[in-house]
Amino acid sequence: MPEETKCACGSANVAIFPCVGAANVGQLSNRIAIELEKQGIGNLMCTAGIGARAPGLMKSAEASDRIIAIDGCPVNCASKTLELAGFRVDRQIVISELGIKKSKDRDLKDQEIADTLGKVMEILQYE
Amino acid sequence: MRIEILGTGCSKCNKTKELVEKAVKETGVDAEIVKVEDFDKILGYGVMVTPALVVDGDVKVAGKVPNMDDIKKWIKK
Repeated sequence: MPEETKCACGSANVAIFPCVGAANVGQLSNRIAIELEKQGIGNLMCTAGIGARAPGLMKSAEASDRIIAIDGCPVNCASKTLELAGFRVDRQIVISELGIKKSKDRDLKDQEIADTLGKVMEILQYE
Repeated sequence: MRIEILGTGCSKCNKTKELVEKAVKETGVDAEIVKVEDFDKILGYGVMVTPALVVDGDVKVAGKVPNMDDIKKWIKK
Protein backbone atom coordinates (compact mmCIF):
# COMPACT_ATOMS: atom_id res chain seq x y z
CA MET A 1 0.00 0.00 0.00
CA PRO A 2 1.28 3.45 -0.80
CA GLU A 3 1.52 6.03 1.96
CA GLU A 4 -1.22 8.05 0.38
CA THR A 5 -3.73 7.85 -2.42
CA LYS A 6 -2.33 9.51 -5.48
CA CYS A 7 -4.27 12.29 -7.09
CA ALA A 8 -4.64 11.80 -10.83
CA CYS A 9 -4.31 15.54 -11.50
CA GLY A 10 -1.85 16.57 -14.14
CA SER A 11 0.16 13.41 -14.59
CA ALA A 12 -0.06 10.12 -16.40
CA ASN A 13 -1.34 7.29 -14.26
CA VAL A 14 0.93 4.28 -14.26
CA ALA A 15 -0.19 1.26 -12.27
CA ILE A 16 2.30 -1.30 -11.00
CA PHE A 17 1.06 -4.77 -10.16
CA PRO A 18 3.54 -7.23 -8.58
CA CYS A 19 2.68 -10.92 -8.29
CA VAL A 20 3.78 -11.03 -4.61
CA GLY A 21 4.23 -14.77 -4.93
CA ALA A 22 5.52 -17.05 -2.17
CA ALA A 23 8.95 -17.71 -3.73
CA ASN A 24 11.90 -15.35 -3.42
CA VAL A 25 11.20 -13.88 -6.86
CA GLY A 26 7.58 -13.20 -5.91
CA GLN A 27 8.61 -11.38 -2.75
CA LEU A 28 11.22 -9.54 -4.79
CA SER A 29 8.54 -8.43 -7.25
CA ASN A 30 6.82 -6.64 -4.37
CA ARG A 31 10.00 -4.96 -3.13
CA ILE A 32 10.80 -3.80 -6.63
CA ALA A 33 7.28 -2.44 -7.09
CA ILE A 34 7.57 -0.51 -3.81
CA GLU A 35 10.90 0.96 -4.90
CA LEU A 36 9.50 1.91 -8.30
CA GLU A 37 6.68 3.78 -6.61
CA LYS A 38 9.15 5.58 -4.34
CA GLN A 39 11.02 6.69 -7.44
CA GLY A 40 7.83 8.07 -8.96
CA ILE A 41 7.51 5.48 -11.72
CA GLY A 42 3.91 4.63 -10.87
CA ASN A 43 1.39 3.60 -8.26
CA LEU A 44 1.69 0.27 -6.52
CA MET A 45 -1.65 -1.50 -6.66
CA CYS A 46 -3.08 -4.71 -5.22
CA THR A 47 -2.98 -7.56 -7.71
CA ALA A 48 -5.05 -9.71 -5.36
CA GLY A 49 -7.72 -7.00 -5.47
CA ILE A 50 -7.94 -7.46 -9.23
CA GLY A 51 -8.32 -11.20 -8.73
CA ALA A 52 -11.10 -10.46 -6.26
CA ARG A 53 -12.65 -7.92 -8.66
CA ALA A 54 -12.68 -5.40 -5.79
CA PRO A 55 -14.56 -2.41 -7.28
CA GLY A 56 -12.19 0.29 -6.00
CA LEU A 57 -9.15 -1.53 -7.35
CA MET A 58 -10.83 -2.33 -10.65
CA LYS A 59 -11.81 1.31 -11.16
CA SER A 60 -8.33 2.49 -10.18
CA ALA A 61 -6.79 0.13 -12.73
CA GLU A 62 -9.25 1.25 -15.39
CA ALA A 63 -8.10 4.82 -14.84
CA SER A 64 -4.48 3.92 -15.51
CA ASP A 65 -2.88 5.08 -18.72
CA ARG A 66 -0.30 2.32 -18.52
CA ILE A 67 -0.05 -0.96 -16.63
CA ILE A 68 3.20 -2.60 -15.58
CA ALA A 69 3.02 -6.19 -14.31
CA ILE A 70 5.96 -7.53 -12.33
CA ASP A 71 5.95 -11.31 -12.31
CA GLY A 72 8.41 -13.29 -10.25
CA CYS A 73 8.62 -16.22 -12.64
CA PRO A 74 7.26 -17.45 -15.99
CA VAL A 75 4.04 -18.67 -14.41
CA ASN A 76 3.04 -15.03 -15.04
CA CYS A 77 0.37 -14.82 -12.31
CA ALA A 78 0.25 -11.02 -12.15
CA SER A 79 -0.02 -10.62 -15.92
CA LYS A 80 -2.60 -13.38 -16.22
CA THR A 81 -4.66 -12.03 -13.33
CA LEU A 82 -4.81 -8.65 -15.06
CA GLU A 83 -5.59 -10.11 -18.46
CA LEU A 84 -8.32 -12.36 -17.09
CA ALA A 85 -9.89 -9.24 -15.58
CA GLY A 86 -9.87 -7.59 -19.00
CA PHE A 87 -6.81 -5.35 -18.67
CA ARG A 88 -4.06 -5.01 -21.21
CA VAL A 89 -0.58 -5.22 -19.71
CA ASP A 90 1.63 -2.61 -21.36
CA ARG A 91 4.86 -3.90 -19.89
CA GLN A 92 5.67 -7.18 -18.20
CA ILE A 93 8.82 -7.74 -16.20
CA VAL A 94 9.78 -11.25 -15.09
CA ILE A 95 12.20 -11.19 -12.16
CA SER A 96 13.58 -14.70 -12.77
CA GLU A 97 14.71 -13.55 -16.22
CA LEU A 98 16.95 -10.95 -14.62
CA GLY A 99 19.44 -13.45 -13.25
CA ILE A 100 17.62 -14.37 -10.04
CA LYS A 101 17.06 -18.08 -9.48
CA LYS A 102 13.65 -19.01 -8.09
CA SER A 103 13.87 -20.51 -4.60
CA LYS A 104 12.08 -20.59 -1.27
CA ASP A 105 14.62 -18.37 0.42
CA ARG A 106 12.53 -15.31 1.21
CA ASP A 107 15.23 -13.47 3.15
CA LEU A 108 15.90 -10.92 0.46
CA LYS A 109 19.34 -9.37 0.42
CA ASP A 110 19.74 -5.62 0.10
CA GLN A 111 22.26 -6.06 -2.69
CA GLU A 112 19.93 -8.41 -4.54
CA ILE A 113 17.12 -5.86 -4.32
CA ALA A 114 19.39 -3.03 -5.47
CA ASP A 115 20.79 -5.03 -8.40
CA THR A 116 17.35 -6.13 -9.56
CA LEU A 117 15.96 -2.63 -9.22
CA GLY A 118 18.80 -1.33 -11.36
CA LYS A 119 17.99 -3.84 -14.10
CA VAL A 120 14.27 -3.05 -13.96
CA MET A 121 14.93 0.68 -14.11
CA GLU A 122 17.14 0.10 -17.14
CA ILE A 123 14.36 -1.82 -18.88
CA LEU A 124 11.78 0.85 -18.13
CA GLN A 125 14.10 3.66 -19.12
CA TYR A 126 14.19 2.54 -22.74
CA GLU A 127 10.47 2.77 -23.32
CA MET B 1 -28.96 8.21 -1.51
CA ARG B 2 -25.44 8.94 -0.33
CA ILE B 3 -22.91 10.20 -2.85
CA GLU B 4 -19.28 10.38 -1.76
CA ILE B 5 -16.53 12.20 -3.61
CA LEU B 6 -13.17 10.78 -2.59
CA GLY B 7 -10.19 13.08 -2.88
CA THR B 8 -7.88 15.32 -0.96
CA GLY B 9 -8.94 18.61 -2.44
CA CYS B 10 -7.28 18.70 -5.84
CA SER B 11 -8.80 20.48 -8.83
CA LYS B 12 -10.17 17.29 -10.34
CA CYS B 13 -11.81 16.39 -7.03
CA ASN B 14 -13.41 19.82 -6.81
CA LYS B 15 -14.59 19.56 -10.41
CA THR B 16 -16.14 16.17 -9.66
CA LYS B 17 -18.00 17.64 -6.70
CA GLU B 18 -19.30 20.52 -8.83
CA LEU B 19 -20.57 18.10 -11.47
CA VAL B 20 -22.24 15.88 -8.88
CA GLU B 21 -23.99 18.87 -7.31
CA LYS B 22 -25.21 19.96 -10.72
CA ALA B 23 -26.36 16.43 -11.62
CA VAL B 24 -28.29 16.12 -8.37
CA LYS B 25 -29.94 19.48 -8.92
CA GLU B 26 -30.89 18.72 -12.52
CA THR B 27 -32.25 15.25 -11.81
CA GLY B 28 -33.96 16.22 -8.57
CA VAL B 29 -32.85 13.08 -6.75
CA ASP B 30 -32.75 13.12 -2.98
CA ALA B 31 -29.08 12.76 -2.20
CA GLU B 32 -26.58 13.58 0.46
CA ILE B 33 -23.28 14.69 -1.07
CA VAL B 34 -20.22 14.08 1.06
CA LYS B 35 -16.64 15.02 0.33
CA VAL B 36 -14.31 12.39 1.80
CA GLU B 37 -10.76 13.57 2.37
CA ASP B 38 -9.77 11.05 5.01
CA PHE B 39 -7.05 8.87 3.57
CA ASP B 40 -8.04 5.80 5.58
CA LYS B 41 -11.63 6.01 4.36
CA ILE B 42 -10.47 6.42 0.75
CA LEU B 43 -8.22 3.38 1.00
CA GLY B 44 -11.05 1.51 2.67
CA TYR B 45 -12.84 1.55 -0.67
CA GLY B 46 -9.75 0.09 -2.35
CA VAL B 47 -9.32 3.30 -4.31
CA MET B 48 -5.69 3.99 -5.20
CA VAL B 49 -6.12 7.07 -7.38
CA THR B 50 -8.43 10.02 -6.88
CA PRO B 51 -10.82 11.58 -7.59
CA ALA B 52 -13.31 8.79 -7.09
CA LEU B 53 -17.07 8.70 -6.89
CA VAL B 54 -19.03 6.34 -4.64
CA VAL B 55 -22.80 5.99 -4.78
CA ASP B 56 -24.41 4.18 -1.85
CA GLY B 57 -21.15 2.39 -1.12
CA ASP B 58 -20.49 1.35 -4.72
CA VAL B 59 -17.34 2.74 -6.38
CA LYS B 60 -18.41 4.06 -9.78
CA VAL B 61 -15.20 5.67 -11.01
CA ALA B 62 -11.66 6.39 -9.83
CA GLY B 63 -8.76 8.40 -11.17
CA LYS B 64 -10.70 10.71 -13.43
CA VAL B 65 -13.47 13.26 -13.53
CA PRO B 66 -16.65 11.47 -14.59
CA ASN B 67 -18.83 12.98 -17.29
CA MET B 68 -22.25 14.38 -16.54
CA ASP B 69 -24.18 11.68 -18.42
CA ASP B 70 -22.51 8.93 -16.43
CA ILE B 71 -23.13 10.69 -13.12
CA LYS B 72 -26.82 11.08 -13.95
CA LYS B 73 -27.04 7.42 -14.94
CA TRP B 74 -25.46 6.34 -11.65
CA ILE B 75 -27.70 8.45 -9.44
CA LYS B 76 -30.95 7.60 -11.21
CA LYS B 77 -32.32 4.36 -9.87
